Amino acid sequence: MKRSKLGFWGFVLPSFVMFAVVVLIPALWGIGYSFTSWNGIGNDVAFVGISNYIKIFTEDGDFRHAFLFTAVFSVLVVICVNLVGFLLALLVTSKAKGTTLMRGAFFMPNLIGGILLGFTWQFIFVQAFGAIYNATGLEFFKNWLSDTKTSFFGLLILVVWQLAGYMMLIYIAQIQNIPDDILEAAEIDGANYRQRLFYVVLPLVAPAFTIGLFLSLTTCFKLYDQNLSLTNGGPYNSTEMLALNIYNTAFKYNNYGEAQAKAVIFLLVVSVIGLTQLNISKKKEVEM
Amino acid sequence: MKRRLLALLLAGTMAAGVLAGCGNNSSKNEGKSEGTTENQNADNEADEVADDAEEGTEEVKGSDEGSGDITGTVDIFQYKVEINDALKAATEKYMELNPGVTINLETVGGGDDYGAALRTRMQASDQPEIFNIGGPQDVIDWEANLADLSAEGWVGNTVEGLLDDVTKDGKVYGMPLAIEGYGFVYNKEIFEAAGIDVAALKTYEDIDKAFGDLKAKIDNGDLKEQFPALEAVIEYPAKEKWVLGMHTGNIALGQEFANCTEAFNAKEVEFKYAAELKDLIDLQIKYTVNADNPAALNAVDYSMQAGGGLAIERVAAIQQGNWVYPIIAEVDSAVAEKLGIIPMPLKGVSEGNTPVGVPMYWAVNSQSDEKDQAAARDFLNWLYQSEEGMQIVVNDFGFIPPLTNFGDAKPSDPLGQAISEAANAGTIAPWVFNGCPTSWAENVLGAEIQSYIGGDKTWEEAVESAKQSWKESR
Repeated sequence: MKRSKLGFWGFVLPSFVMFAVVVLIPALWGIGYSFTSWNGIGNDVAFVGISNYIKIFTEDGDFRHAFLFTAVFSVLVVICVNLVGFLLALLVTSKAKGTTLMRGAFFMPNLIGGILLGFTWQFIFVQAFGAIYNATGLEFFKNWLSDTKTSFFGLLILVVWQLAGYMMLIYIAQIQNIPDDILEAAEIDGANYRQRLFYVVLPLVAPAFTIGLFLSLTTCFKLYDQNLSLTNGGPYNSTEMLALNIYNTAFKYNNYGEAQAKAVIFLLVVSVIGLTQLNISKKKEVEM
Repeated sequence: MKRRLLALLLAGTMAAGVLAGCGNNSSKNEGKSEGTTENQNADNEADEVADDAEEGTEEVKGSDEGSGDITGTVDIFQYKVEINDALKAATEKYMELNPGVTINLETVGGGDDYGAALRTRMQASDQPEIFNIGGPQDVIDWEANLADLSAEGWVGNTVEGLLDDVTKDGKVYGMPLAIEGYGFVYNKEIFEAAGIDVAALKTYEDIDKAFGDLKAKIDNGDLKEQFPALEAVIEYPAKEKWVLGMHTGNIALGQEFANCTEAFNAKEVEFKYAAELKDLIDLQIKYTVNADNPAALNAVDYSMQAGGGLAIERVAAIQQGNWVYPIIAEVDSAVAEKLGIIPMPLKGVSEGNTPVGVPMYWAVNSQSDEKDQAAARDFLNWLYQSEEGMQIVVNDFGFIPPLTNFGDAKPSDPLGQAISEAANAGTIAPWVFNGCPTSWAENVLGAEIQSYIGGDKTWEEAVESAKQSWKESR
């Protein structure tokens, strides 16, 4: 069948226009603003060249801190989330009882909004842990969210708890795709559970890892609402992640241009990391 | 097949988008046309209304003649969540009196998000006619949108000094919403039960001693029977940077700068009373339940302090202002009636003074249609200068009036009365945090105080770093 040009554009144009209006044009506009000293309010938009970028790299210690914090945090989250997600997937695809119920339970945190999760965990960390500390005196439960270390781990626990269920779903799909005959053949060949897991299941699940790593990495880099509601960057701005830092620069400090410049850097970093990771992981996949 | 489905989906989304757009427009237009037709039918009603208005108010005459003739659409974009319902009712009342005017109310709350929301709202083609601005920085930022209100009737009646921060080149750009004040909000009954005469408390030493006595009584169980939940004298929500940086910080900065404008023009902050400020912070830490473990305060938030602290009589006092009254009353109205305010002391410098100021101002958008602007001005005039409006402002909003001619209309809650009394007696200190560099008080000074409380920095390091940041942003 010959495709008419009209048909092609007829179908592509509407979605392209929408994409352009809500993504492309605002993004280009934003890049433009990153070269100005606009405060986000008036009409006086002064062109300042790349001075916003210079300022970010040379003067802005908070941004550097937010960047490092986000990077370290993301690496840890990606490892934990995928590990936990994969283990959960193994658990619920096993022949144990009640796996359907477990699937639902593990996935549940994902259906709750980030803001709400943040407040829920804030209550657990501050009130519940505080009460446990007062009752038992166990050091572990002392001062959660009130110093830099516990705030970091508090945020980590929250995000892992939320994302692991989603990753589990992805791994379940992939694990169930593995044909039984391959596993049976391995079993007949005398492979034990550990060998089957490492030499059969893991390589075949690799494509899902590509997706899982990519999704968790980018989600984590862009984390905002959980950050806002759990710690709001506190104490003393130590847990301020990139997205929150950008928002605060724009709307609290009224440096819209500088915030845009940060956002551009942010976009570049997220895409470079995401794409690199995607490429590396893809090489590790095996065809069935 | 798949492709067709996709196309269908896309087409559907597009259509939905277009329809949604139409829907919005048509409903807006409807509102407007309704307003104008009603106006034509309502001529005879308008006469009555004009009479009413004249009877009620003498002050308004100049700008309010024939309020029935006013037409226009006024969008209000404001930040005070607490008054949302009462303000809605007030707009409805005003629309009854002025059938030609349509008022739409939009509230975006918290104070924290309002600035961002306003910016987005102003980017839209349909800008609000009435919105809120804060101190001198806002006047500069929004100057293109601010209508000159100098000729309004209420300007002459405003409490002295309240317009300084929104006056630029001799023009008044904002109308104060209310007066607010803060201090140690305390529970009279608990202090009485402990045998403490609060009226005699004035100096830092007095208060320190009184809090100490109360703490001793709490610790040895004397008050257990009467107040079973009581566990500490005070709660200090160090998680809230605005409480630390803006309010506690202002006690010291308010003695260094006479007003916002002075702070606004200062290239550097000297922090003359840094040592006294430390004493004040330490005083609060010392009497919380976390006195031995101050870092834990960094996780205590506003709701634990107010609703989950003072309101349930878990603590006897908190550093807050008259705005906590409705929050406390919602939890326990009996407790709310027992509240009073102890002025926060700056040791040896300013003791017995209550900081009072204006949280925000009403501004009229100069970019709106002349006729909508006129309606907006008239509404503000009606709200703050007509007999009916004054009752609403004082009783329904719970505001302490910023104007002098409110006469008998006095705040009905005990905290409002306490602030009002302090203002009348002149035992007040200024609010200067709106004159600090953008976001400095909350996000810089607040965070530095947090790191002092958390033990991450010494007091000197924290102050030094805050001073440095002020210098850099000016």
